[in-house]
Amino acid sequence: MFAFTVAGTNIQSSRKRVRTMATATATSIDPSMKDAFTRYAEYLNDLNDKRERIVKASRDVTMNSKKVIFQVHRMSKYNKVEVIEKAEKDLVAVTDQYMSQLVKELQGTDFWKLRRAYSPGIQEYVEAATFCGFCKNGTLLKLDEINKTLLRLSDPSIEPLQINVLDYLLGVADLTGELMRLAIGRISDGELEFAEKICTFARDIYRELTLVVPHMDDSSDMKTKMDVMLQSVMKIENACFSVHVRGSEYIPLLGSNDPSSFLVGVPDIEI
Amino acid sequence: MQYLKPAFRNAAFYGHSFSRSSTLNPISLILVFPFRGIQTFRLAPSVSRFSSSMAVSPSSLDKQFDAFRVQLEESGTLRDRIRTVVSEIESSTRLIYATLLLVHQSRPTPDVLEKARSQINVLKKQYKQLAEVVGGCPGQYYRYHGDWRSETQSVVSMLAFMHWLETGSLLEHKEAEEKLGLNSSDFGLDVEDYLTGVCFMSNELPRYVVNRVTAGDYDCPRKVLKFLTDLHAAFRMLNLRNDFLRKKFDGMKYDLRKVEEVYYDVKIRGLTPNGESIVDQGNQGQS
Repeated sequence: MFAFTVAGTNIQSSRKRVRTMATATATSIDPSMKDAFTRYAEYLNDLNDKRERIVKASRDVTMNSKKVIFQVHRMSKYNKVEVIEKAEKDLVAVTDQYMSQLVKELQGTDFWKLRRAYSPGIQEYVEAATFCGFCKNGTLLKLDEINKTLLRLSDPSIEPLQINVLDYLLGVADLTGELMRLAIGRISDGELEFAEKICTFARDIYRELTLVVPHMDDSSDMKTKMDVMLQSVMKIENACFSVHVRGSEYIPLLGSNDPSSFLVGVPDIEI
Repeated sequence: MQYLKPAFRNAAFYGHSFSRSSTLNPISLILVFPFRGIQTFRLAPSVSRFSSSMAVSPSSLDKQFDAFRVQLEESGTLRDRIRTVVSEIESSTRLIYATLLLVHQSRPTPDVLEKARSQINVLKKQYKQLAEVVGGCPGQYYRYHGDWRSETQSVVSMLAFMHWLETGSLLEHKEAEEKLGLNSSDFGLDVEDYLTGVCFMSNELPRYVVNRVTAGDYDCPRKVLKFLTDLHAAFRMLNLRNDFLRKKFDGMKYDLRKVEEVYYDVKIRGLTPNGESIVDQGNQGQS
């Protein structure tokens, strides 16, 4: 409809233009050209509308995945289980409410054609899912496992949305930033062992990605992420180092000057 | 430590962060934290579960990333194959372009077209090859699209220019696809690429007009102006995004203005064949 009205005004203006500028023999646009361009206009309108809807859905996914990540960061050593349970529940809600919107819009060739429109959302989602997964199981949630959870969102008759390797890797690359924050938080909470695990995990991811990055399609984006990732890993390592060094200094003080703290700790032993 | 009562022995053992000597042992690092060393043990059961799963993870982590690497290497190989074909397409296009440049030197259009057309068949074969390469992974046309996008846009601009020289009308998207032997079901011509190609073609017209007039074809500007005005009007039917195509379309008005100027120059000097009927544009090469 819109295309038609636009077309109408254009024909008029072009007619005017031609009359003033060219000879009197000029008339309106060639009808076959007009028909063809009406079709192109329709195609472009549909495509742009779809892209716009996908961008919106992707933004929703991003926003709510971020909330999941924040939820995970709310953990302290006392409420770990509850916090992670809540985060997982939130993640399922993101999948059901927002990822399903994306899945609805995308099918077939759209996965690659409109990837730029939805990739940021997917990356954030991967980040949230792997972050939850790590806090729960201590392992990296695999791409296949994430994709399995998406299967139920789409009609079995159509080709389901499957997160591609590139978006997964980009999401995992972002994960280290969150791991860094988590590690710092854990250290200040006194969970050194956990912080060490995080450190090992982040190192593993960095190492694995180093091997994969050169093969990625547009590795420039990924290369900057790798630099950021190394920064994050080093931050975790430095934090662990500081605690290691300063912690050893501090212990005798604790033992000699403040013996009561030792006794305070006693009732907490559950062995 | 000997003064500790047996009840505390366990605690002391686990909480050996309190003893300085043990901190020299790197293994005890995890327990070194001075303030809450003991409290950490609230988590003892979950921590152990955690560690056991961690012990498995490196290998499964490796496995997944190895698989990714294989997958990405495969797609890299495919991309290389695509690029090989595309560079051939590029050189064919260059040949066609070089041939078409002769129209600016007043060579008879039919001869030029004849020569260029023989190249189109080569191009057709190359696109078939490209379609076969990409056909290996269905649904991924747009994954590799960037590799042939700009080359295809040039191809379209050549085809459209030739078509216009021949018929005086615009080559439609479908016709362009047919000329290249493509079909939209498996390997088609992207509409936006087609439109961009058409914009490229319009860039060629001002020069063509100038040279035709120099060669004495004073009716050419009128025909080109009519065509370009129509084309510009047709493009305005599209709702474009702020992308490359939009930029190219915005450039089209300069082509239009240039052609208008040429037309004006010719007309103001009374060089136009006045009131003459439209010469069949198919014959314009001979005029």
